[in-house]
Amino acid sequence: MSGLLDRRLLLVTGKGGVGKSTVAASLALRLASAGFRTLLCEVNAGGRLGRLLGHPEVGADVTLVEPNLSMVDLQPDAAMREYVLQKIRLERVYRAVFENRMVRYFLRFIPALAETVMLGKVLWHLRQWPEAPGGFDRIVLDLPATGHALTLLGVPRGLLTALPSGPMSTEARWMHELLVDPVTTSAVLVSLPEELPVNETLELAQALRSQLSIRVGAVVLNQAVPSRFGAGDRAALGGRPGLAALVGAYEEDAHRTAEALERLQGIDGPLVQLPRLVTPQVGRDELAALGEVLAEGLR
Amino acid sequence: MTGSSLERVLRSRRVLVCVGAGGVGKTTLAAALAMRAAALGRSALVCTIDPARRLANALGLTWLGNAPTEVRTEVLAAAGITLAAPLRAMMLDLKASWDELIERQAPPGQRERILQNRFYQTLSTVLAGSQEYIALERLGQLRERSEADLIVLDTPPTAHALDFLDAPSRILDFLDNEAARWLLDPALRASRLSLRLAHWGGGVAAKTIGRIIGGDTLEELAGFLGAVSGMNQGFRERARAVRTLLSSPETGFVLVAGASPERREEALRFHAVLGDRGLQRDGLVVNRVQEEPPASADRELTGLPEPLHGALVRTLGETRALAERDRVGVRLLREGSAAVPLIAVPRFSSEIHDLRALWRAGSYLLGEAVIL
Repeated sequence: MSGLLDRRLLLVTGKGGVGKSTVAASLALRLASAGFRTLLCEVNAGGRLGRLLGHPEVGADVTLVEPNLSMVDLQPDAAMREYVLQKIRLERVYRAVFENRMVRYFLRFIPALAETVMLGKVLWHLRQWPEAPGGFDRIVLDLPATGHALTLLGVPRGLLTALPSGPMSTEARWMHELLVDPVTTSAVLVSLPEELPVNETLELAQALRSQLSIRVGAVVLNQAVPSRFGAGDRAALGGRPGLAALVGAYEEDAHRTAEALERLQGIDGPLVQLPRLVTPQVGRDELAALGEVLAEGLR
Repeated sequence: MTGSSLERVLRSRRVLVCVGAGGVGKTTLAAALAMRAAALGRSALVCTIDPARRLANALGLTWLGNAPTEVRTEVLAAAGITLAAPLRAMMLDLKASWDELIERQAPPGQRERILQNRFYQTLSTVLAGSQEYIALERLGQLRERSEADLIVLDTPPTAHALDFLDAPSRILDFLDNEAARWLLDPALRASRLSLRLAHWGGGVAAKTIGRIIGGDTLEELAGFLGAVSGMNQGFRERARAVRTLLSSPETGFVLVAGASPERREEALRFHAVLGDRGLQRDGLVVNRVQEEPPASADRELTGLPEPLHGALVRTLGETRALAERDRVGVRLLREGSAAVPLIAVPRFSSEIHDLRALWRAGSYLLGEAVIL
């Protein structure tokens, strides 16, 4: 059975603030350094990942930033334009129709249109042969937080149910097939050793499986703290209140980590821990190191 | 250093809105603020969006519903807390609030049509800013009806600060916009949308849009906009009232942030946006700040055997590194938000899920205890 890093599309998500972008960037760096031509995508995030990796210039166009690593920040308007131009091939008509203010107003209300075109762009790149123009060996998608991620991923299925025929459902069908194919696609769920993030991870895993039929390829517990001090150690600290307090606080974090791990075991899929970093800044080097930890844990 | 205090704010405001990115501890701090306001003698109501079950349990509320529930005095007394005024808590059910708004505002014949419409589902769940809008709409309603002296609103986790603050304007924009008027004007509504599109742009527009999204979808959208048009005026009044409430002198904003680099950047952006809108920034609370390890720790290392000694040195070093990182973070936040009081709340060794810990967090908010 091949592992997570053999999947062509990795969908990274979790609660807000758990470190999704960190994990997505680490995975992408690891894949690129292993020789896979990799595309790292974020969804309308104002170029956050670009800044994190030292490439603030990344925007709505796919940009090669380092050997084997390309990045893009998906934006609804740019994706819409690209999509429409693929269909009608006439820039003049696009401008006359889709840049009309009134039309823009309608478009905002079409359920899932923005999501369809953004997800469609990612999946279009996935559908290209890796050697073809726009093709990649691996795509890592840094999704928004849980609720929005589920909305985004649920778009193709929703369209197929709501509109069994028509132009949008034709698109939805192939998109859906790629997302639910376990050989192609895996979700990576990121969590933290705290109650709410773990709750949300469990709900997310359940929703991905039952509502969307998307396979969970890995659960990543970020900022994990392993236990270091046993009861004997703590007993040896009698009369040393400062150290006892230090150890108490540390082991409290370790206890929360253990609790989180136990609950996350309930999800079917490998569970990997990322250590809590104490460096002042998380930059490219730290991310590359985390990528190694992830690859090791997923082996 | 003397600490900043939110005491004056808790004594004077009628609404406090806690804002910030997801995962920084807004809900907990909102509850701590409400509790301290009640201790100061003002009846307080905290509205949360998605509370941790343990927090709800801690408040003695096994069921945190869409209506305010009082935290019982015996629950508080068991934790050694006496409040001078009632403390209430409630959970905002955003979807139910949307449905309720439609039921209240829609013309009788249109209600079911709207609630069943696919586009309504978009409006109430997916459309950017709709969750934020309904949270604010509920706040306005509560402020009108509730007898609480102070309402503390915990807000939905927002990726972009603007989604939250612009939500009422967006709804207003939509309704006030020329395009919407053109669509919603009763005299014009009589004609079918596809015909209108055909007139305009010589048919190319309708055909092109139809090719991308399907002609049926366009028809259905026109139907929806027609159905909500009766609510136009009511919506507009509500949205305007909410906007007025947010900028009223009775309302203040507390920005909750983290000290780490990623969180800091978001917080300062949020801070700037609040300022640009002329909203009252009552405080910047930096949550979960790592404290320095106890000063005596180094001395106490003497004479301990390996490997315990090594493990302790390592733990001490890591804790110091985290404390240093947060100290720098707090300093940068303070520099970036000079005009606004900054309060650092330490990272407690356990999550704040009991009333005593909430009370303790409150002592930092009131400047009774200080770090950094």
